[in-house]
Amino acid sequence: MSDKDSPDVSRRKFLGFAGAATATAVAGCGGNGGTDTDTDQPGGNGDTDEPTDTPTGDDTPTERPEPETRDGYLQRANRVAHEQAPWVFLNRQYSVYGKSEDIEWQARADEFIDAYAISPATDSGDDVVINQSQMDSGLDPQDHRATPTDNIVMQAYEKLLDRDREGAILTSLAEDYSRQEDGVVRFHIRDGISFHSGDDLTPEDVAYSVNRIVDPDTGIASPQQDQLAGVTGAEVVDGERAVDVMSDGLNPIVFSLFASYGPIVNKSWIQTNENAYINQNIDGTGPFVLETYEQGVEVVFNRNDNYWKEAADISSLTVTSASESSTRVNSLLSGEADIIVNVPPQEVSRIEENDGSSIAATPSTRVIFNAMRYDVEPFDSPEFRQAVNYAIDLESIVQNVLSTFGDQTAQPTLDGFFGFNGDLDPYPYDPEQAEALVEESGYAGVEVELHTPVGRYLNDVEIAQAVAGYLDDLENVTASVNQRDFQALAGEVTDGDIETSPHWYLLGWGNATFDASQTLIPLLKSDGVLTSWSNDEFDRVIEEAQSMPSEQ
Amino acid sequence: MSYGRFLLKRGLQGIVVVWGVVSIVFVLRFITPGNAVDAVAPLDASPELRERIAAELGLDQPLYVQYLDYLWELLQGDMGYSYISGIEASSMVFSKLPATIELAVASSIIAIGLSIPLGVISATRRHEPADYAATTFSLVGISTPNFWLGIMLILLLSVQFGIFPTSGRAFGFVEAFRIAANQGVGAGADAFYQWLRFITLPAVTLGTYFTALITRLTRSGMLEELGQSYVRATRAKGLPESLIRYKHALRNTLIPVITVLGLQLGTLIGGAVITESVFSWPGLGTTLINAINTRDWPILQATLVVIGTGFVIVNLVVDAVYAYLDPQVVAE
Amino acid sequence: MISPRTLRNLRKELRSSALAKIGIVLVLAMILIAAFAPFIALHNPTNQNLDENNLPPMGFSRTTEETTSEMVNGSLELTNETVYVNATASHPMGTNSLGQDVYSRAVYGARTSMMVGVLGTLLAAVLGVSVGLVAGFYRGRVDDALMRFADVSLAFPSLVLAIALIGLWGRAAVDVPDPFVVFGLVDPVRSALGLPTGMPDSFVLPGTVIVVVGLVNWVWFARIARGEALSIREEEYVKAARALGASDARIIGRHVLPNATTPILVLATIQVAAIILLESSLSFLGFSGTTLSWGFDISQGRAYLSTAWWIATVPGLAIVLAVIGVNLVGDWLRDALDPGIEGEGGV
Repeated sequence: MSDKDSPDVSRRKFLGFAGAATATAVAGCGGNGGTDTDTDQPGGNGDTDEPTDTPTGDDTPTERPEPETRDGYLQRANRVAHEQAPWVFLNRQYSVYGKSEDIEWQARADEFIDAYAISPATDSGDDVVINQSQMDSGLDPQDHRATPTDNIVMQAYEKLLDRDREGAILTSLAEDYSRQEDGVVRFHIRDGISFHSGDDLTPEDVAYSVNRIVDPDTGIASPQQDQLAGVTGAEVVDGERAVDVMSDGLNPIVFSLFASYGPIVNKSWIQTNENAYINQNIDGTGPFVLETYEQGVEVVFNRNDNYWKEAADISSLTVTSASESSTRVNSLLSGEADIIVNVPPQEVSRIEENDGSSIAATPSTRVIFNAMRYDVEPFDSPEFRQAVNYAIDLESIVQNVLSTFGDQTAQPTLDGFFGFNGDLDPYPYDPEQAEALVEESGYAGVEVELHTPVGRYLNDVEIAQAVAGYLDDLENVTASVNQRDFQALAGEVTDGDIETSPHWYLLGWGNATFDASQTLIPLLKSDGVLTSWSNDEFDRVIEEAQSMPSEQ
Repeated sequence: MSYGRFLLKRGLQGIVVVWGVVSIVFVLRFITPGNAVDAVAPLDASPELRERIAAELGLDQPLYVQYLDYLWELLQGDMGYSYISGIEASSMVFSKLPATIELAVASSIIAIGLSIPLGVISATRRHEPADYAATTFSLVGISTPNFWLGIMLILLLSVQFGIFPTSGRAFGFVEAFRIAANQGVGAGADAFYQWLRFITLPAVTLGTYFTALITRLTRSGMLEELGQSYVRATRAKGLPESLIRYKHALRNTLIPVITVLGLQLGTLIGGAVITESVFSWPGLGTTLINAINTRDWPILQATLVVIGTGFVIVNLVVDAVYAYLDPQVVAE
Repeated sequence: MISPRTLRNLRKELRSSALAKIGIVLVLAMILIAAFAPFIALHNPTNQNLDENNLPPMGFSRTTEETTSEMVNGSLELTNETVYVNATASHPMGTNSLGQDVYSRAVYGARTSMMVGVLGTLLAAVLGVSVGLVAGFYRGRVDDALMRFADVSLAFPSLVLAIALIGLWGRAAVDVPDPFVVFGLVDPVRSALGLPTGMPDSFVLPGTVIVVVGLVNWVWFARIARGEALSIREEEYVKAARALGASDARIIGRHVLPNATTPILVLATIQVAAIILLESSLSFLGFSGTTLSWGFDISQGRAYLSTAWWIATVPGLAIVLAVIGVNLVGDWLRDALDPGIEGEGGV
């Protein structure tokens, strides 16, 4: 890691707020999401608050003791989700990038391609081309919910805090941060930073940026509101170059949120310009300045020589896209692109064998799953939902469709995250049990359709087809696949209205906070932004968890 | 009637057709199931967006008022704003138009340039190997789906041999000129070279069908002509064979060929849509497909109007050329 | 409608033309394959078997490089190994990425192409001929109006209009029961031959696609029918019939239509070829109501061109052969019956 990102926050401070589990978990290593200070556990399973395990899929409710810590509550939430199966649990995505030998770069687990961290290895590495699977949906950094857009706008916009490649929290536009009282945290804003337009960065800009995200009445109704979960607003501190951020309740992971989300914009620039203009231009503080923007085709940045830190190593960055993986691979092999995303497993060896390219892979913070809407037939039946999980051979999917580039999941939270429940095993492949459960649910003979984006996630269409194929193999269910445009599907799912979402859809959710709550809440809690579920026990357990501090 | 009057008449007819095109696009939203806003709005539209759409469509007003508003706005070049990105529809569509035109023109040049000589050779060397080769090629050429051909070409020439880039478009043709003007001949030549590299595979892919088609037509047309009595007569007069072939027979063959070319323009544009998709060529075809997939109604509407209108204009041109070659048409 | 003289011409042309013979063989083969698909396919084309995915066709067994990943001490390690991939006789043309049999999918894909090709052409013909006959027979304002309407239809390239319509109307499809399977004829034959049973008991008829391709192609038929109507209405016997007070419908039906049959038939074969190509383009782009289609398989195979080229190649070859066959038949009909037909119809 280059010395540009000097973590000037003390390690103790970081641990205090986010829990030791976060620090250890990040390199994607195996092992269980542990609790903070308990290190010796019976059997080493790190699961202090759960009694010894029951067989997976056993749907006779067991009487379990009430958890006592935040970790315990989150693990309980994961158990409830596992047993009630609002999802078809699929895999942890591996980020498989192809990289040219012209540049030095390493992949991050949170899927952000940090162009600032790229250095040229040869002369032609000075102008870097990134080829994604999608382009942006507009350049307003606060009006989107998709990683491909992040990979474009976040080269030029910055946040209050940041993360390094392993996930540790760093300062950025905020030079330090502290808790003031319950529900209020304070960020001190660094001096001497200016936007690309020349305007100085002021605390008013910061407060406005936060409010524009969390308050629907300020600026736009931003779909990122739940990313800054629990945050209610921000205010400039009188007399200080600082901003206070208010939250509902304790908000245990608020700093973690600001390390992953919350781009800072120029208040006057936003307020004086039209929506269409904001979506086609950029005024940020980041290491790259927008040079040209061809909507849906390509975005070109130049190095910001007035950047408040050391200027970037590369002089220009072009982001383009191709939804066909083969097109991306060919662009890498022919030298047109320097970084490509989502290399399908069958092309990995071709890229490795090629002289000018190699693979950069890492387990991602993204979980791939199928959401099943609890409010429609046949997915309102837990038996039917469990049946779908039994019907698929997840191991075979990981082996054959993903060629081992993925991990099976049994719960919404990924291994290594805070709140991961190590006692839960993936649903086994049991078509007979599946058929029996379908009968039990009363929905025998039903027809269902799985909506999937195309080319957004690693082999997303193949996974969807395999899932539908397995379900279709059952005697009493008919299943098929509906291929959708990702932007359209994402729009339907993230608009805050469950009724516009397809009944059954494949999605990937990247949670770069390494904390279970930021997956469980938006996707599964009754009031989550893109929730597909509503369950009282689950809601209760989550609310308990969020009212407790993250340290023991 | 005179040539000028003929052109005028065709021109007026063309305007009527354009009006028809525009009207059909207007009607399209009403023949989809559900109410007009549902048909037109993106599925994730917020209630505010829906209200805005309803207001824009003027749904509270009687149908004929909506229609007149629509026509009036069109005449002013206002085709609304994209529901997805907020960008002006007309500017977005017109910015993508040159790419598609380039592709269509390039393929047509390839097609005409190759097929007419091929057809003539095939007709004049009937039953010789050259003929068999040409007829086989043209038969396969009109039977091969162009997206498959494109994929195979990418596999061979881009992936295996690395001669051509796999997709995209570096510079526009016009842009290359601008570069030459601003940065001198060297930079300009390089820009042209890049433009050529990127357009070759798509143009060949798109042009193959037409090359095959026109070869067949030229061949059969020439065969017919060469068998005609006037050819025998001129041969008897002692004119050199080549003169006969090219001047008379070819000219008379070109007339049906051009007719067909005009009729086939639709295929050309349709084929362009697919070719653009295979090669990620940023033209109107890609815009159309994206607009449909994301239900971005203003862009869809704008694209259809531009394609339809452009098509009518080109047909007019073809008619004009046709009439020039065959004065009999004008006389009818 | 088909006079003995016509039949004679057909036979004569067939005898002298090798290409015509080839065309007929290809078309007959396609019809038989489509009709008897449950008997000819080796497996159920929708059966997936992930363990047997991406198998090469017979004769192409090969060694490939495979890369797998494993978490070792907190970081991801990639292992390259050389793997020998064996073709099996049960999948003579290989399998696709879901382990489905490529050959069986090609066989069933013929059904989709044939159904859409024939039914779409039928729809276009019925629509177009009706409009054309009326326009040509009545002339005057009716003719002008209808022909302007035709011009406007033609102003949209067929594919563009088809995509727009399908995008707006959705991809409705109908499940048609497969008579062979439903009547239990298939399993006994297959068991006797030692083939696995369990063929699909219905197939998907992409209704919207058929309607749309019919709608975008009616104009060609209209023009031909109109031309015929224009010339035939001047014939003496037609004038006589009108003078005698025969109804217009009767005249059109008894005199005009039968004489127009020949050029309409030639056009129809050309159209079938064009519609097969159009359908494959639509399903390639994802605008079809069925996944058992050659175009769809090609789009699925795109990601595997360098590693499993057969997935995209086999359906592509199928399309080429089918369309060549139809085009050759079209040539035969045209050469035998009416060499004066211009144009190749639209796509």
